[in-house]
Amino acid sequence: MKPPKFEYHAPRTVDEALALLGRYGGDAKVLAGGQSLMPLLNFRLARPAALVDLNRIPSLAFIEESGGGVRLGAMTRQRTIEFSPVIAQRVPLLKEATRWVGHLPIRTRGTVGGSIAHADPSAEYPAVLTALEGEVVARGAKGERVIKAADLFQTYLTTNLTPDEILTEVRLPAMAAGTGYALEEFARRHGDFAIIGIAAVVVRDGQRCKTARLATAGAGPVPVRLRAAEEILERDGLGEAAIDAAARKATELVDPDSDIHGSADYRRHLTGVLTKRALVRAMGVARG
Amino acid sequence: MTDPRSVGSAALPRLVGARVARREDPRLLTGQGSYVDDHRPARLLYAAFLRSPHAHARIVSIDASAALALSGVTAVLTGEEIARASKPVRAASKTPAVKVTSFPPLALGKVRHVGEAVAMVAAESRYVAEDAAERIVVEYAPLPVVTDMEGALEAASPLVHEEAGTNLLVAREFARGDVDAALASAAVVVRERFRFHRHTAICMENRGCLAEYATGSGTLTLRSSAQCPGIVRDVLSDLLDLPENRIRVVAEDVGGGFGAKASLYPEEIATCVMARRLGRPVKWIGDRREDLLATSHAWDEIIEAELGLDRDGAIVGLRALVTADVGAYSIYPWTAAIEPVQTISFLPGPYRVPTYRGRTRGVATCKTPLGPYRGVGRPPAVFVIEGLMDRAARRLGLDPTEIRLRNFIRDEDFPYKSPSGIVWDRSSFTGSLLRAREALGYDAVRAEQTQARAAGRWLGIGVASYVELTGIGSAIPVSPGMPIATGTEAATIRFDPAGKVTAVFGVASHGQGLETTLAQIVADEVGVPIEDIRVVHGDTALSPYGTGTYASRSLVLAGGAAIMAGRAVREKMLVIAGHLLEADPADLVPADGRLAVRGMPDRSVTVREIARAAYTGAKQLPKGLEPGLEATRFYDPYYGTASNATHVAVVEVDRATCQVSVLRYLVVEDCGRMVNPLIVDGQVHGGVAQGLGAALLEEIVHDDHGQLLSGTLMDYVVPSACEVPWMEVHHLETPSPVTLGGFRGMGEGGTIGAPAAIANAVADALAPLGVEVAELPATPERIFRLVARATR
Repeated sequence: MKPPKFEYHAPRTVDEALALLGRYGGDAKVLAGGQSLMPLLNFRLARPAALVDLNRIPSLAFIEESGGGVRLGAMTRQRTIEFSPVIAQRVPLLKEATRWVGHLPIRTRGTVGGSIAHADPSAEYPAVLTALEGEVVARGAKGERVIKAADLFQTYLTTNLTPDEILTEVRLPAMAAGTGYALEEFARRHGDFAIIGIAAVVVRDGQRCKTARLATAGAGPVPVRLRAAEEILERDGLGEAAIDAAARKATELVDPDSDIHGSADYRRHLTGVLTKRALVRAMGVARG
Repeated sequence: MTDPRSVGSAALPRLVGARVARREDPRLLTGQGSYVDDHRPARLLYAAFLRSPHAHARIVSIDASAALALSGVTAVLTGEEIARASKPVRAASKTPAVKVTSFPPLALGKVRHVGEAVAMVAAESRYVAEDAAERIVVEYAPLPVVTDMEGALEAASPLVHEEAGTNLLVAREFARGDVDAALASAAVVVRERFRFHRHTAICMENRGCLAEYATGSGTLTLRSSAQCPGIVRDVLSDLLDLPENRIRVVAEDVGGGFGAKASLYPEEIATCVMARRLGRPVKWIGDRREDLLATSHAWDEIIEAELGLDRDGAIVGLRALVTADVGAYSIYPWTAAIEPVQTISFLPGPYRVPTYRGRTRGVATCKTPLGPYRGVGRPPAVFVIEGLMDRAARRLGLDPTEIRLRNFIRDEDFPYKSPSGIVWDRSSFTGSLLRAREALGYDAVRAEQTQARAAGRWLGIGVASYVELTGIGSAIPVSPGMPIATGTEAATIRFDPAGKVTAVFGVASHGQGLETTLAQIVADEVGVPIEDIRVVHGDTALSPYGTGTYASRSLVLAGGAAIMAGRAVREKMLVIAGHLLEADPADLVPADGRLAVRGMPDRSVTVREIARAAYTGAKQLPKGLEPGLEATRFYDPYYGTASNATHVAVVEVDRATCQVSVLRYLVVEDCGRMVNPLIVDGQVHGGVAQGLGAALLEEIVHDDHGQLLSGTLMDYVVPSACEVPWMEVHHLETPSPVTLGGFRGMGEGGTIGAPAAIANAVADALAPLGVEVAELPATPERIFRLVARATR
């Protein structure tokens, strides 16, 4: 379990990093926190000619409020997010999701940009980005572009970032005060990737539900927005019957795969169970 | 055999029984341990193995030229080359029940499981060695794969070993009485097809070894992450045609073994051959992927069993057929029989079973070889008999504890010969269950369960009682039919002239705390503070003849040897002290590091003065007494001794996710006289954690092509600290009547009781649905399916 030989570069700026990516013409990998890439290298499942390490680019690690949202530099560590007052106040769903990411040593190295760019469909951050309808910023030789969550994830471990682009920033809309939220996750062992995870956001207006957002982890090749289930809540409110109906609908909206940790049937079942749990808890948090 | 009554009593009985903190921990916890990978001799080469991607294939050709051309590569070894330097391993058996097959150190002719070592590279670094291994071109001609153990027995099945002429490598039967008639006339018969899936040990330290061959002296030194340095030394002598006195096997600090490091492994042989061939030290450190592919697996059995009882719930007969998937090779020295035969040996449990027939079959498949793992055969056996007892209790409307109490071997029945021929000495089957009921507050927990059920919760209580055989002496082999002798261990206790003690043992501690417990015994026997004792183990060049640590034997055998050697030394100390003090040795009493004349505390000598005198020569010693102060004694407990426990689990099954939570876990164990209750507790905790893994989480999974699907620690789910419940451990101390010191072995018990207790608790939780748990691990997926079927 030793990686094959590769070149290693530790640029100081994003421009230098982009130049390096250009030089290797798609044969370089970007190293962020390394919590997924290093095992892939050690198993020799990834064999890039070079690693471009972003860890020495200070401008990529920040959390800032801006306009109606929060901008996170791609190299912001999960551990920083976990304890950020800005995140706790503005995007509490992200804080809650972070507690489910691996274990302390993993969160200490792991980054928000790395997790999203790696696009493991069982991971928490892609589900949060999807539920909140966030965006990422990608910089490439040809400049900068903003990619919506819905457009980012293509399939397993695949985004629409091109090999010469770097994900530099994650943008999440601030959650209005009183917004209900919850992330429910089921794994066989604490800290493991989700067998199923559900991120839920509800904005209440009395008994009505102004907005509902539901997204999955582990229920297919990409995070799934459960739009038809959201619509049930936005139409029928947040009563028990509506939540049950939304949870039932959720099971119809996913098409999960089977693996040794759970069959498609069981994952579909869990999608309903966790959708209900997430909504009940989100409603408990919601005010308005 | 040494009669326990003939040895007298200890000099200073004060440390045995005390909660002495583990003396090895400061060293291990501060990174000062000495593991294989800590050693980097000059001119060291690093090894990597090329492993088979196929489960079953003929090797057409191997071309290593591209690997050898790589800069930094010193040598490549293949199966044909190594066959010229080492014999193939043949785990011989004295019983015709076992078909003997070859296990070449590197695949020869064909590969029989994914991960089998095909070629070995030695290079300047592990990185280069892995690069080179990738460049070895092996042409394989795939053969039909044998993965299903029952299918492998059909006449049309391809053969894993042509030389055997069958895939049935092991067939054995134990019988007592007319079980067929007993079951035919039984008031109640419960039957089940149980499935206990494949498992592996997962040691903190992966396997690894470092071989050095001194061409000048013709001596071979192998450092290995091994439990049994003595066994490895003996077999290497045969395989490599080197005398035993020129082979030294060292297993200094070893990061866990759990049985999986008790066998001889191909990498050890290949590393020795490579080092001998090159005249340079060669080190191989297995990585986690290799560990999951090529360290022995465990259990993997289908057990069809029937239990008959009379109207009062008394057992009238037990009939069982065990089928074990023993994998691709018969492992040395235990043979493929170890797991399947142990299972039928222990199936009757701690019960009076008047009629019994247990048949077992060990079947070769294209999977990693099966080997010993904590509990060996007993976790599946206990899962089966305890599962049947609960099914019978439900049928008869009896409480699960009541049906056990009615069937236990009673105090007046000891010694009791089990249907498989094991003799149980006086144990506390009934006592441990009664104590467990009391400690749990059994009736209160049952009342709580009734309330929980009324509220729609799935709460269950599971009980498992077991007895195992530990500290096995020379009367029976540890593994049936095994040709090597495992019935003795020795201790050398040596005073130096400064009065300090070195105690040397052939056993090898790999986490059991033997440096502490054996020192406690020695301290009491020779009458010095524990600080003055150094325990040396795990080095065949230093120790008297021994095999190693396995089968819950070390405390019983090495502890017994320590008592014998300690008392021999003590006797000589008294003689010397008597001479120095001009007193009768019988009048001397120990007093604070000295020996004093009884009633005259001023007339005394220190231990140091005695030791100095022992080495000073004739002037200081009684006439005719040989100088020196040391003794080596061998101990053979002959039959071995029983060790028993009752485990109780209280679990809740989440109705929505089908996840099992263990709410309470309680153990009442009886390992006889305890040397160190702190270490006993630790062994129980670790054992239960591994048993819980077997019950709920851990499973080695192959696909139909024999590819390993659980090949990482992401997919092979071992419990972490978060999944292991708090445990309440209670002790009964029924001294063994048949071992020195009254000790009983207890390293494996936690793993033996836990799968059954948890399975029974889950079944109890789901009893309102009429669901039985016949397959472990009871994963959420499996429970989801059971519930879905029951509620459809």
